[in-house]
Amino acid sequence: MRSIRLLHAVVTHFFLCVIFICASLAGPRVHAFASEPDAAPGPVSMVNEVLPILTKAGCNAGTCHAKASNGQNGFQLSLLGFEPFEDYQHLVLEGRGRRLSNTAPEQSLLLLKATGQVPHGGGVRLDPNSDPYRVIVEWIRQGALYDGQSATKLRSIEIQPSEAILAPGAEQRLKAIASYEDGSQKDVTELALFESNESSMATVDEAGTVKVQDIPGSVSIMVRYQGMVGVFRASVPQAFVVERFPEAKNFVDELVFGNLKKLGIPTSELTDDATFLRRVSLDVAGRLPTEQELASFLANPSAGKRDDAIEQLLASGEYADFFANKWTAMLKNRRDDASDITSNFAFYSWVRDSLLANKPYDQMVRELLAATGTVLSNPPVAWYKRVKDPKNQLEDVAQLFLGVRMQCAQCHHHPFERWSQDDYYSLAAFFSQVGRKPTATRGEDMIFHKRGLAGVANAKTGQMRRPAPLGESVQEIPPDQDPRLKLADWMADSKNPFFAKAVVNRYWKHFYRRGLIEPEDDIRDSNPASNPELLAALEARFIASGFDLKDLVRTLVRSTTYQLSSVPNPQNITDLQNFSRYYPRRLAAEVLLDAVDDFAMTRTDFPNLPPGTRAIALPDNSYNNASPFLKVFGRPENESVCECERIQTSSLAQSLHLMNANDVKSKLASATGRAESLAKSDKTPEQRVEEIYASAFSRKPTPEELATAVGYLVEVRVDANGNPIDPGKSMRENLQDLLWAIINSKEFLFNH
Amino acid sequence: MTSIDLHVAKKLLWLILACSVALGNAAVSRAQSVCLPLPRLLSISPMGGQVGTSFDVTIAAENMEEPGPLLFENPAIQATAKLDAQGKPIANQYTLTIAHDCPAGLYEARVLGRLGISSARIFSVGKLAEVVQKPGNTNLANAIELAVPSVCNAVVSTRAIDFYSFEAVEGKRYIIQCSARGIDSKLDPVVIVGDSRGTDLVAQRTGDTLDFVAKTAGKHTIKIHELTFKGGPGYFYRLSIEELPIDAPMPIYPSTRSVSAFSWPPSGLALEPSIAEQEDVLSQSISLPADISGRFYPAADVDTYEFDAQAGQTWWIEVASERLGRPTDPSLIVQMQSPDRSGWLDVTEFNDISSPMKPSSNGYAYDGPPFDGGSTDILGKLEIKESGHYRLVLSDLFGGTRKDPRNVYRLVVRPAQPDFCVVAWGLHMELRNGDRNALSKPLALRAGSTVALEVVTVRRDGFDGEIALSVEGLPTGVTAQGLRIPAGKMRGVLLLTAAQDAPQGISNAVITATAKIGEQTISHPMQMAQMVWPIPDAWSEIPSPRLVSGIPVSVTTSELAPITIAPSERRVYEAKLGETLKIPMIHSLRSEFSGAVLQLKTMGPGFDANPQFDVSLAASSSEAIINLASVKPPPGEYTVAFYGSAVAKYRYNPLAISLAENELKKAQEEQQRAAEVLTQKTQALASISAEQKSAAEAELAEATKKKQELDAKVTAVQEKLKRINEQATPRDTAEIIISEPVNVRVLAP
Repeated sequence: MRSIRLLHAVVTHFFLCVIFICASLAGPRVHAFASEPDAAPGPVSMVNEVLPILTKAGCNAGTCHAKASNGQNGFQLSLLGFEPFEDYQHLVLEGRGRRLSNTAPEQSLLLLKATGQVPHGGGVRLDPNSDPYRVIVEWIRQGALYDGQSATKLRSIEIQPSEAILAPGAEQRLKAIASYEDGSQKDVTELALFESNESSMATVDEAGTVKVQDIPGSVSIMVRYQGMVGVFRASVPQAFVVERFPEAKNFVDELVFGNLKKLGIPTSELTDDATFLRRVSLDVAGRLPTEQELASFLANPSAGKRDDAIEQLLASGEYADFFANKWTAMLKNRRDDASDITSNFAFYSWVRDSLLANKPYDQMVRELLAATGTVLSNPPVAWYKRVKDPKNQLEDVAQLFLGVRMQCAQCHHHPFERWSQDDYYSLAAFFSQVGRKPTATRGEDMIFHKRGLAGVANAKTGQMRRPAPLGESVQEIPPDQDPRLKLADWMADSKNPFFAKAVVNRYWKHFYRRGLIEPEDDIRDSNPASNPELLAALEARFIASGFDLKDLVRTLVRSTTYQLSSVPNPQNITDLQNFSRYYPRRLAAEVLLDAVDDFAMTRTDFPNLPPGTRAIALPDNSYNNASPFLKVFGRPENESVCECERIQTSSLAQSLHLMNANDVKSKLASATGRAESLAKSDKTPEQRVEEIYASAFSRKPTPEELATAVGYLVEVRVDANGNPIDPGKSMRENLQDLLWAIINSKEFLFNH
Repeated sequence: MTSIDLHVAKKLLWLILACSVALGNAAVSRAQSVCLPLPRLLSISPMGGQVGTSFDVTIAAENMEEPGPLLFENPAIQATAKLDAQGKPIANQYTLTIAHDCPAGLYEARVLGRLGISSARIFSVGKLAEVVQKPGNTNLANAIELAVPSVCNAVVSTRAIDFYSFEAVEGKRYIIQCSARGIDSKLDPVVIVGDSRGTDLVAQRTGDTLDFVAKTAGKHTIKIHELTFKGGPGYFYRLSIEELPIDAPMPIYPSTRSVSAFSWPPSGLALEPSIAEQEDVLSQSISLPADISGRFYPAADVDTYEFDAQAGQTWWIEVASERLGRPTDPSLIVQMQSPDRSGWLDVTEFNDISSPMKPSSNGYAYDGPPFDGGSTDILGKLEIKESGHYRLVLSDLFGGTRKDPRNVYRLVVRPAQPDFCVVAWGLHMELRNGDRNALSKPLALRAGSTVALEVVTVRRDGFDGEIALSVEGLPTGVTAQGLRIPAGKMRGVLLLTAAQDAPQGISNAVITATAKIGEQTISHPMQMAQMVWPIPDAWSEIPSPRLVSGIPVSVTTSELAPITIAPSERRVYEAKLGETLKIPMIHSLRSEFSGAVLQLKTMGPGFDANPQFDVSLAASSSEAIINLASVKPPPGEYTVAFYGSAVAKYRYNPLAISLAENELKKAQEEQQRAAEVLTQKTQALASISAEQKSAAEAELAEATKKKQELDAKVTAVQEKLKRINEQATPRDTAEIIISEPVNVRVLAP
């Protein structure tokens, strides 16, 4: 008997297990109303079924009912359904339950609005004949229950396929498969959100069908479902076999050319010496090469002269000026009050001197992050004058030094990333022990480490968060230790997944116009690099070099890739992200102003600074007020940690300014300027034109250009009565006209 | 420190007064609209010299027509007026001699003028060869070549960069110091070393010394500028360059002392500490008491000292580092080892020495003195409640990322040695809406005036008793009252009154603070703090107060106080607690004022609570009212004074007008006579014979020359008179008005 009972028990257990496993494999219920119209529907999950429908329909988008303040027209939902319980309250309980009707679900205000049966500012979001509509009706009919605690938790989503090589014009249907903690899986393609990172290369529709355009390269589709993000990455080669690539000078070339080979994109030719010198001088030192430098460089027969020129530029003060200008803008070195001048100058100079001395990048960041004392004795303290709120401190540090945008995670789970509010406040906790003591200078504090256990309360849960860097943990930090030093330690660790990557990508963008990850400060799983192997190699090299910024610049600009011509060929003309050629870009405001001054042989006078100070060496934003030129060409006001604050696009105002503005005209007509100097010189018209071309374009004029320009210079002007004017005056005015035409040319305005 | 040599000064004071009135030539325009003009020494050029040398210096002073003797605190430095070819003193110029035995260091100089003794200015004495900047070195081509070693005395101009060069030897180490803030300059210096083409190699922008090892031999450049490219006469500096062995410690250059340093060292501290920090030891064992020297080095350094202590013991702990001139913020945690020896438990924490008076914030107007007597150093009491093993954990809250071996500290753990120290500064207050003046205030009294010094104390090791102040060596006619800091208080007010009939005079005062501590009477000299520069608005320019040496006090009769308010009788006024005391006051008015009423508050220990009362500025007398029901002082004797602010129609040196007018009249008469002579000579030439013509022409030329000289003289005197008249034009000037002190006796009800 005992054995029979035992056998019965075993068999029963076996069947129970089978049933359980089968149920688990089935995963959350899938309502197949269309195929099984008569089947009795099971319980509908609000978390796993209703909220994804609202998300797909766009109801809980940040621009709609998930708006930060009070949603839309009094109805609020959590962003992308990240807070199910809050959504339950808003949907079911709020407004005395007026939004849902259990007895007549179809008459629920929620559905009447969503289907457009009553006026809805957001338009029709649901088809009454669709499955999603029926799911919501059934959920309401079942009592609109909240299952936040019991619903099976989503673990991950997988995109099928995750990558593909697609021909131009091809289509690819994507599938999004959700995996749950109970081991079940579900096809959620219908409810997932799809977004292309480069719509000019590939578009994707709501159903997940990717359509590739005719631009070769790499493109990613971000797929989101319930806080999980997946990526589909497509390579789009063109039907062209590249036989030969230029000689690779370093690993940058090997990895760029390797990628181009896969994509069937040939490179442009190597650029000529003159263009190279102009390009590298503008990119490394923010200035045009002088005529002497150009002549000497062109006459130099050495094979290594390009590398030598790079070294000379890296050793120059202008390199430090130019990059300090770049960094201090992002570090918000702005003047809001006259008394800011001392701290702004001190801070700018600290950055500039650090770059000049080639202080290791990790050390520089460490000195900034963990700055203590007074501004005068320790200038990086000035950053804490500009950025006072610990939340802003963490956000700026994350975006600038880690390339991670954490702002979203302050109020809700990051929509495109894995960062939660706990991650946000854990990072903020590193700055929780920053103590301040007043100084004699208004608005300026002494910064010190305030002893105590670091921590910041999560604003939503109230739970105290101890310091923890992104996705990792650090040992408990005793009250005596400044937690910022621990953060700096974590950043400088060779295994840090963000720190080195962020800066090499930022510098890559500086020299190549486009980041390997774009935008350069938005590094996330859902935004992959266009050439991940290259990014990883740059990162490894930078770490191995001891965070050497000059070595990074050297690596980037010594490469053949950097030294390719900007002139496209038929096979690479559409390439905008694989660096098969140099992508021209407009000179930044300060660089352009200096270039105009150098070319016109004038100097812009900036208040309180020594005469001759270059625009790239301006310590803060205050000079924008006195310089319409800098303003119109987009010099930033140092309000944002994002480089995007600098306006690099072209505008009508810029064209009009160059053509008509008094400050430009006065430079061309300066009594000590180039036009005057050339007019007084005993050079021939041809020599004059050659000087002008050399100083503006770093090259000789073509025979056609020479003929045209000389023809214009020797033209005799006439007065109002038609009589020839003084030949000297005529020449001077013709020279001014020629200079004017030159600075209005694209070749002058662009680095190419 | 010694007091300035005044014996010559006294003799010359009357002479200065006479000359100044006659010359009526203010050195600097009086743009300020708060506080009556006071004499201030602004700069000495060159601002230093080599031991055992003699050279000429030029000074710039404020509110001083014809500066008199230039006086130094060390008699080893002597200055005599520089004379022109006719033996007359050249304005503002002196010949200075530094004795061979004068120790290198910083010394204060002051100058005597019509209004009395000036504020102090630092003069440096060194051992290196000195040069003076030649103007125009603002580009590479005009760089001044410096010998190694040497010192260059220079001034940087606005929006300019000064260029120097030196010959470097490859591998050699050069120490380049630009002394500025530490020698009273307004300059926050930037020092950049570049290659021969001026390309920057290394920069130092925190005012610290630049330590440079030459990688190549040959000419190098040094560039100097102000951090924000400000410049002008106040932005002077001494640029020194020396070669030093590679492994030699970085020298610390002399500097003036911050106000916070008045509380260091404690009495009886040994010259050298008995224990040195062992940097290679994780936790150093000591026994108490202890006197330790250490340093916050390297970055984020934490020094730990372990000791045994018994329950009931009380120790006083003091740390000096900021007061030694280092940019540090020491923090000390006392921990006790847990009974199971598994860890350490916090016992107490020490941070900062509070300022005896809360310094003014950066608000719209003053809400405290613009001086901070506190420090980021440590002074605190440790009571051992449980016998056991303890440790002191000492760190620098500013030291997380900075590594400077010069950041030294001195840690003293001692049984209670009750003591005190005292510092004083001129009273500052808001004189008009939003006023934040931070003017240097030398004790140059006008006859009939009363000035107030705020006297504050840092008390040590539990001392809480009364501190008495005694004043000696005041000029004739000057008295001091308010001579105590009450028990338990941190502040007192010392009043210096120059009688209305006080004669012109100057002397070095000695103010001593004395207290009875236990059975002992302990005395310490009172120190003085002063603004380095007269800053009209502390928002636009950050004031830099410091300690000064010596307390010279002068009285001028060239100008008298615009108003004197004095009790009608010199007696003790009595009243019972709870009563209202009315004191008849006599006004001696010597100026017009804007407004009819002067609102008076009361100063004196505890008398701040007395309600403000009004007196008429036009009246010749008034009644001061003390409501003892509001003040509620303990019965006893008090010295009080009444103070407020008033806007005087101040005229600068009006006496000079009549003298200049007389001078002009005399010059014009001479000019008229010369014109007549010239006319005669011209007419005579027309009718003279040929043989006499040559002599007559010579006479005519002579007369013409004389006439031209007198024309020029008349023009010069006219311009002088115009300037004097402009200066003497009444100008609204807000000033602190303080009555003469009144002695009050409060009786029990």
